[in-house]
Amino acid sequence: MSKPVTIIMIEDDEGHARLIERNIRRSGVNNEIIPFTNGTAALDYLFGPDGSGIEHKGQALLILLDLNLPDTSGIDILRRVKENDHLKCTPVVVLTTTDDAHEIKRCYELGCNVYITKPVNYESFANAIRQLGLFFSVIQVPETIA
Amino acid sequence: MLQIALLGIAFAVLVVISIASVYWLQRAREDAAWVAHTLEVENQISLSLLQIRRAESAERGYLLTQEQGFLDDYEAAAGGIPPLLRTLQEQTRDNPEQQRAVIEIMALAEARLAQFRRVLELGRDNKLDAATEMIRVNAGRDTMNRIRTLSLEMSAEEQRLFRARTTTADRSQALAAIVTTSGSGLVLLLAAISIFLVRRSAAARDEAETRLRDSNLNLESTVLERTADLREANDEIQRFAYIVSHDLRSPLVNIMGFTSELEELRGDIFRRIATLERAASPNPMPENADNDAEPKLSGADKQLSQDFTEALGFIKSSIAKMDRLISAILNLTREGRREFKPVLIDTRELIEGIVSTVAHQAAEAEAEIHIEPLPQIVSDRLAIEQIFSNLIDNALKYLKNGVPGEIRVRGRQKLGFAIFEVADNGRGIDPKDHQRIFDLFRRAGTQDRPGQGIGLAHVRALVRRLGGTMTVSSELGTGSTFTITLPAKWSAANRDSQA
Repeated sequence: MSKPVTIIMIEDDEGHARLIERNIRRSGVNNEIIPFTNGTAALDYLFGPDGSGIEHKGQALLILLDLNLPDTSGIDILRRVKENDHLKCTPVVVLTTTDDAHEIKRCYELGCNVYITKPVNYESFANAIRQLGLFFSVIQVPETIA
Repeated sequence: MLQIALLGIAFAVLVVISIASVYWLQRAREDAAWVAHTLEVENQISLSLLQIRRAESAERGYLLTQEQGFLDDYEAAAGGIPPLLRTLQEQTRDNPEQQRAVIEIMALAEARLAQFRRVLELGRDNKLDAATEMIRVNAGRDTMNRIRTLSLEMSAEEQRLFRARTTTADRSQALAAIVTTSGSGLVLLLAAISIFLVRRSAAARDEAETRLRDSNLNLESTVLERTADLREANDEIQRFAYIVSHDLRSPLVNIMGFTSELEELRGDIFRRIATLERAASPNPMPENADNDAEPKLSGADKQLSQDFTEALGFIKSSIAKMDRLISAILNLTREGRREFKPVLIDTRELIEGIVSTVAHQAAEAEAEIHIEPLPQIVSDRLAIEQIFSNLIDNALKYLKNGVPGEIRVRGRQKLGFAIFEVADNGRGIDPKDHQRIFDLFRRAGTQDRPGQGIGLAHVRALVRRLGGTMTVSSELGTGSTFTITLPAKWSAANRDSQA
């Protein structure tokens, strides 16, 4: 990545988080990855104490989002990010187990940029994540708008 | 019950009143007859007395005038007396006292007439003095007085009887009137009670009807409620299955992922062991050996590596199987959530389409698929396609080895239902497994074909959702026939009614 992009990983399953991180690293992406295991903590971080998200002004962020979270639904997080003036340009990659057509459609309607289903087969899983990593290394991410 | 009893009583009362009226009227008529009889008897007595008087006065007239006319009068009067008295005797036969008086009067009248005759004979012989003498000795007057007295007594007796009988007759008539009136009153009363009871029971019936209607409505709403409950429960199960299978998948990713990582680690570890072994051994291997190649191990280390590989292999194949099962459940629940859309389906064309997609498998199995004329139906196209392709797939999959397959798809229409049959000459299904084959993840017979035991469970779920039924008839070695009965015109509404 051309700029130091911070990857925000919202994933309740620590095993998944570990596997994802490992495979992203294997694809040669060395950016900072901040993991969150629940929606509330992630929202607190993203929007800050005043809930405006202004804290991240000038930062380049990329959000890796799981939909099945214990406290909030990933869809809610997606909606709030895309509705926020500062964060709406931040790319959101939905990475989840659901391959339900309705769910996929809904995420794209809400403005998700990429939707990836986690394959159970580990080879496919690792492959998908590595390709995602390669994708991360070539895409341009905008800075959050002030 | 009470009403019938009342009506019975009313009828009985009517009958009794009728009989009593007839009886009392009869009595009244009899009493009146007796009254008339009394009057007649009195009349007879007067007549007799009058006749005797006439005879007497004719006798006297003759004695005075000697005229033949008086004699004729006498004869007429005297001749009339005995019959009159006999009639009187006849009439008073019921009354012994009067009878006695009559007999006495008869005797006296006889005697009196004999006297008259004697006087008249004397008169005819011109012995007028002797005749006058006879009259003068008063013998005749005594007899006459006696007769009058007796007559008066008889009259008095008859008067008494007349009064008594009149009273009786009056009483009879009064009784008849009372019976008739009171009976009519009673009947009217009973009729009134009956009407009251009828109206009351009518009211009760109306009320019961209202209650019945209410309970019918209640029942309907209960049924609707239950149906809604069932549908909710069904939806709940769907959601449950979906969530469970989803949540099961997540840990599976970890198990699979870390197992693969372990596998990598295994490679690293055994390469290290091999390298160390090589370093320790007196004649080292050439340095240019391929690092990625399976390291050369010996003895116990080799055995360890093999055990490691075997264990990982079992874990991975189990995970793969579990993943397939979870995917199957997910697909089934997803199928259960899909909205059906009824369209007119040319069944024959649809099945020809399925047959062309399995043509390759059919050729491999040396099987022929015959499609007989099939009825058109209105149903969900995708569901029908899945049903038939599963059944035809199964028929092709489980043919008898070495026997050319023959699969027939038949159809007919009956009472608003379309009945389809998919028959094969394959290996057949043991009757004890007929239920089992429709259960999820269950299979029957020799397990020499790939499969999860999902197809028929899925087919049956679809058939049920389409408001139909599904049966199998099969014997081992002779082939199977699957019969599907579907409503000829399916609509979302009749799905609801069968839900």
